Amino acid sequence: MSAVISMASVGKTFGDLRVLGDVSAEIGAAEFVSVLGPSGCGKSTLLRLIAGLTSFEDGSICFNGAEVTTPAPEMGFVFQTSNLLPWLTVRDNLLLGVDLDAAMQRPSDAAFAELVETLGLTGFEASHPHQLSGGMRHRVAIGQALARNPQVLLMDEPFGALDALTRDRLNMELLRIWQRDRKTVVLVTHSISEAVLLSDRVLVMSERPGTIVEDVRIDLPRPRDPSVTREDPAFGDYVVRLSKLMGVS
Amino acid sequence: MSASPITRDRLISIGFFLLLGLGWEFGVRWSGVQSYLLPPPSAILAELWQSRAPILAQSLVTLTEVFWGFIIAVALGVPIAALIFFSRTAKRTVYPLFVALQSIPKIGLAPLIVVWFGYGLTSKLIMAFLFAFFPIIISTLGGLASTPAHLEEHFRALRASPMQSFWRLRVPAALPSILDGCKVAMPLAVIGAVVGEFVGSNDGLGNLILTASGSGHTKLTFAALIAVTLMSLILFYSVAYWERFIWWRAA
Repeated sequence: MSAVISMASVGKTFGDLRVLGDVSAEIGAAEFVSVLGPSGCGKSTLLRLIAGLTSFEDGSICFNGAEVTTPAPEMGFVFQTSNLLPWLTVRDNLLLGVDLDAAMQRPSDAAFAELVETLGLTGFEASHPHQLSGGMRHRVAIGQALARNPQVLLMDEPFGALDALTRDRLNMELLRIWQRDRKTVVLVTHSISEAVLLSDRVLVMSERPGTIVEDVRIDLPRPRDPSVTREDPAFGDYVVRLSKLMGVS
Repeated sequence: MSASPITRDRLISIGFFLLLGLGWEFGVRWSGVQSYLLPPPSAILAELWQSRAPILAQSLVTLTEVFWGFIIAVALGVPIAALIFFSRTAKRTVYPLFVALQSIPKIGLAPLIVVWFGYGLTSKLIMAFLFAFFPIIISTLGGLASTPAHLEEHFRALRASPMQSFWRLRVPAALPSILDGCKVAMPLAVIGAVVGEFVGSNDGLGNLILTASGSGHTKLTFAALIAVTLMSLILFYSVAYWERFIWWRAA
């Protein structure tokens, strides 16, 4: 299987601060990969480098075989904050990414209705972001990325600011969407259980300057649901192993 | 009797101002102050009604000056502020020029402007413009600078062009602040026009105030002052009205 994203000896410095040491990894098509690491280890920076949002000094990142320099239309980015425009309705926020790109076409009414339904936003198309709950705002943000039908979805702790219950629910929705569309997903998170529940592989990063200390394959059966976290002993084993790698336990 | 707290608060306010008016009315009557010094409110209201035709005519003159002065201040102020915001050269040249101009007491400029542009509409329009212009520049600059950095990055991730980022992100994000600037600028434009009329004019409410007080017609002076105040209030609220269409504040 050829890599969709390949990173070779990537390093990044902000002024005197070495944020990323020497990161090399490959991410294949339709893989769900989590990047797990302590706060400030540079995992969000790494995601921005992959997205072409931040420049870097050392090494190279290739997407579909071409060097990444600017954001590519085939990549969708979901940020930590939901980043909706307060003056646009849910509908217009969902379509913003498509509207900004002259080469992209708005989905058909049927396809759009399906997207809205998948996201559980039916009936809220005409609402404004301030009328939605935090969880719904994040669903709109994910929907905006999905509406562009990207090959790769890059997510930077998309549910980090939400309460545990909402977070679990959104994770399951994310899993459902992924199992249907089989996009390549790179998820940055600091939640060990979230990483295990969702991923095919977990890349564990060290403290700053961040490097990848371990590439853990998660061999839990799919489709997964939250019962995995309670009923499958292998889940607990993965959590313990990753905790040790992160120096938690 | 049990009134709701809101009704009670309103009654207290109304009662207070009624009392104040009555105090004025009877204070003037009983103390024997000459009415050319301080007329009682009843006489002022009567004058306002009697002289309604000239007051309305002069109000229209002043309103025209204020309206165009304000409109031109917005029409020039917003794009010039955008230029200052995006051009380093403009930030080093145009911006300090406006700051320096703003520091000149504009009342001191009024005689010159009347000399240059005459007693007609133009000089007063320019005075209204000068008073309104700077708050609009400052509020537009502030609004454009207030675009959250995370939204800019988001637009970059969506591969938006600079023009798209400007029109679809920066401008809407700046609108609440621009509207705040307009709310400050509107009453200032009224002051500017009246000052212009004081310095040199044949009509307008400022002219009416000046000639009425000069001829000891104090009741008419007060009546004209009420007209200016009402005009300023109405204009302010007609700007503030647009807030319902620009209700968001960039988070």
